[in-house]
Amino acid sequence: MRSTEGQTATQEKQQTQLKASPKKESAKFEEVLKNYEAVIGIETHVQLSTHTKAFCSCPYNYGAQPNTSICPICMGLPGALPVLNSKVIEYGVKVGLALNCKLSLSSKFDRKQYFYPDLPKGYQISQFDIPIASGGYLDVDLPLEFGGGHRKFGITRVHMEEDAGKLLHTGNGSFSQVDLNRAGVPLLEIVSEPDMRTGIEAAEYAAELQRLVRYLGVSNGNMQEGSLRCDVNISIRPIGQLEFGTKVEIKNLNSFSSVSRAIDFEISRQVLLHSQGQANQIVQETRLWEEGAQKTVTMRKKEGLSDYRYFPEPDLPGVTLSEEYINGIRDSLPELPEMKRRRYEKLGLSMQDVLFLANDINVAAFFDATIGTGADVKLAANWIMGDIAAYMKNEKLSINDIKLTPKELGELIASIKGGTISGKIGKEILFELLAKGGTVEGLIKEKDLVQIVDPAEIEKIVDKVLAANPKQLEQYRGGKTKLQGFFAGQIMKETKGKANPGLLNKILVEKLNAKS
Amino acid sequence: MGSRAALPLLVRATPPLFSFRKRPYPKAHVPNKRFYAQKSSLEPPNVPRLAETARISLTPQEVDEFAPKIRQVVDWFAQLQAVDLHSVEPAIRADTDGEDNLRGDVPEIFDNRDAIVAAVPTFEDPYIKVPKVLNKE
Repeated sequence: MRSTEGQTATQEKQQTQLKASPKKESAKFEEVLKNYEAVIGIETHVQLSTHTKAFCSCPYNYGAQPNTSICPICMGLPGALPVLNSKVIEYGVKVGLALNCKLSLSSKFDRKQYFYPDLPKGYQISQFDIPIASGGYLDVDLPLEFGGGHRKFGITRVHMEEDAGKLLHTGNGSFSQVDLNRAGVPLLEIVSEPDMRTGIEAAEYAAELQRLVRYLGVSNGNMQEGSLRCDVNISIRPIGQLEFGTKVEIKNLNSFSSVSRAIDFEISRQVLLHSQGQANQIVQETRLWEEGAQKTVTMRKKEGLSDYRYFPEPDLPGVTLSEEYINGIRDSLPELPEMKRRRYEKLGLSMQDVLFLANDINVAAFFDATIGTGADVKLAANWIMGDIAAYMKNEKLSINDIKLTPKELGELIASIKGGTISGKIGKEILFELLAKGGTVEGLIKEKDLVQIVDPAEIEKIVDKVLAANPKQLEQYRGGKTKLQGFFAGQIMKETKGKANPGLLNKILVEKLNAKS
Repeated sequence: MGSRAALPLLVRATPPLFSFRKRPYPKAHVPNKRFYAQKSSLEPPNVPRLAETARISLTPQEVDEFAPKIRQVVDWFAQLQAVDLHSVEPAIRADTDGEDNLRGDVPEIFDNRDAIVAAVPTFEDPYIKVPKVLNKE
C-alpha cells in the first residue's frame, strides 16, 4: 500500500531540487503545472512462472546459483534448436483474454538482433509484426486516497518473448559479471496505449496488471525480483495541443510508488523546461530513476530508431491457435479483479472494503469462503480488514499462513450474532484461533466463555457489584450518571466479560435508578 | 494443444520484412489490403552499415571488395521473385507441416553444463566475466 505521506514528502523534495526557491515561487510553479498535460504509456515485462524456460527444458528458479541453469539452446551453441514450451502459449492466451484483446489465431516468432553480453545468441526470440494478442483494455479503480474513480486504459499489444541474462556491475572497475540463468525465461511484453495522465494512474495501471497476472496464476508479479518490470514513456504538452511532445523513456522502476514518483518528477522537469522556453532541451532519450536521489538522470540518448533487423525466426514453426483451444482457456479463466470488485460492490460493501479485499487474491478467496459459510458480508469484511489484517501485519504473515480458517471465522461471526458470546470475547477467541487454530465451539467450551444471557443471573451480579460500591452508588444517585460506565466495567470484570452487554446495561440502569 | 486449426490466416497491413514477390496475388486470393516490397526497395547493400550492425571492422579496401559479392548474393535471392505464386495462399511465414512442435513444461537439467562453462573464455566462478558495459548500444 502506498502511503500518502510518502507522496507529499517526495513532492516537496522535488520542488527543492528543481528550484530551491521560496514558497511563493513553488506556488507559482503549481499554477504553471496546471497548464500542461502529461501523456503516459507503459511497457510491462511479465516473467511467466513456468517451470522451464521458453525454448529449452532448463528449470528456472530465482536466486539459484549463477550459471547453473544453462544448456546448448539457451546458450545459443551452434546446432541447438529451440522448442516452444506449450505453457507460454497458454499463459499468453490467458493474459490476452483477460486484457480483453483480440487474439491472433496465427502468429509467429521473430528474431530481434542486438549485441549485448546478457544475450548469448546475439538475438532475442520475440514477436514483431504479429503479436499473439492486441487491441484490448484494462479496467482500473483508483485508490480512494488519491481521489478514487474508475479508468479504462487501452492495451496496444501483448507478445511472447524470452528474457536476457542478468548483468552485474560491481565496483571493481573494468569488468561486469553475467549470470545466464535468466536467459531464455519466458516473458510477456504488455504495451499500453498512451492513455495515462498522472503518476497515480500509471502506478495503479501497473498494480492492476500485477493483480491480474497473480489472479491468473501466470506470474508471481514480484517487482523486487524483476518478475514485473515497468518502463514508462512520458511526454508533456500544453493543454489543448493535439500533437504529442517529445517522448522520454524511464527505466529502473522497482515499485509502484517509484513509477508514480518518477513520473511526477519527470512532469515537473519537463514543464519547468517548457515554461522557461527551453522545450528543445527535452530530447528523446532513456532516463534512469534514481531511488536514492529521487530523480531521473540521462542513461542514453536515442539516435533514431535502433536497427534490430527483425526477421521471422526460422527455427520455430508459426503459432496457431484453434477456436476450441481459445474457448477452453476462456472457460477456465478465474474471476478477475475487475469482476470481483464489481461483485463485492453489489454485495453492498464500501469502495474502501472492495479495494482492500480484491487487492490480494488470497485475501479475496478467504473472504469469499467466509461469506460462503453464510456469514454476514459486512461483518466478515470488518474482521478481515481489522483485527485479522492487523495480526498479519504484526506477525508478518500472509493470510495463507494464519491458523484461522474461513469456516471458523464464519462460526465466530455467527456465535456473536446469535448471542452465544459477546463481541469482546469474540475478539479474544479470534486471536487464539489466529495463532493456534482450533474451533470456535471447542474454545468456548474449553474456556467456559458462553455469554450469560439469563437476566436473573445478571441481576444477581449487578446487585453484588452495587452492594460492593456504596460510595459510587451514592455519587451516581447524586447526579454523577457517568459512573454507569464504571459499574458496567465492574460487572464485566466480575463475569470475565461474559455478561450480555445489552441485558447488563438494561438491568444496571433499572437498578441504579430504582430508589431515586 | 490439440489440433491445428485450418483457419484463414491473418493478413496484416504491415509490409513484410523480406519479400521477393514480383506480382501481387489476384484479387480472389487477397481478402485484405496487402503490401509488397517492390524490387526497387531492394537497395544496394550498404556494406559499412552492415559491418557496423554485425560489429565487424572492415577496412575501406575490404568494403570495396565485399560490396559486389554481397550484391551478387542478394541478386541470387532476387531470382525467387520470378516464381509464380498465383495459386499459393499468403502465409505469414514458411511453415512446417503437421504437428505443433511444442513441448510440455517439464524441467530437465542439461548434464554437461561443465563443458559449456569450460568453453567460456573468461569465467570467474560463478560468473562469466565481460568487459564493463553500462548502456545498451
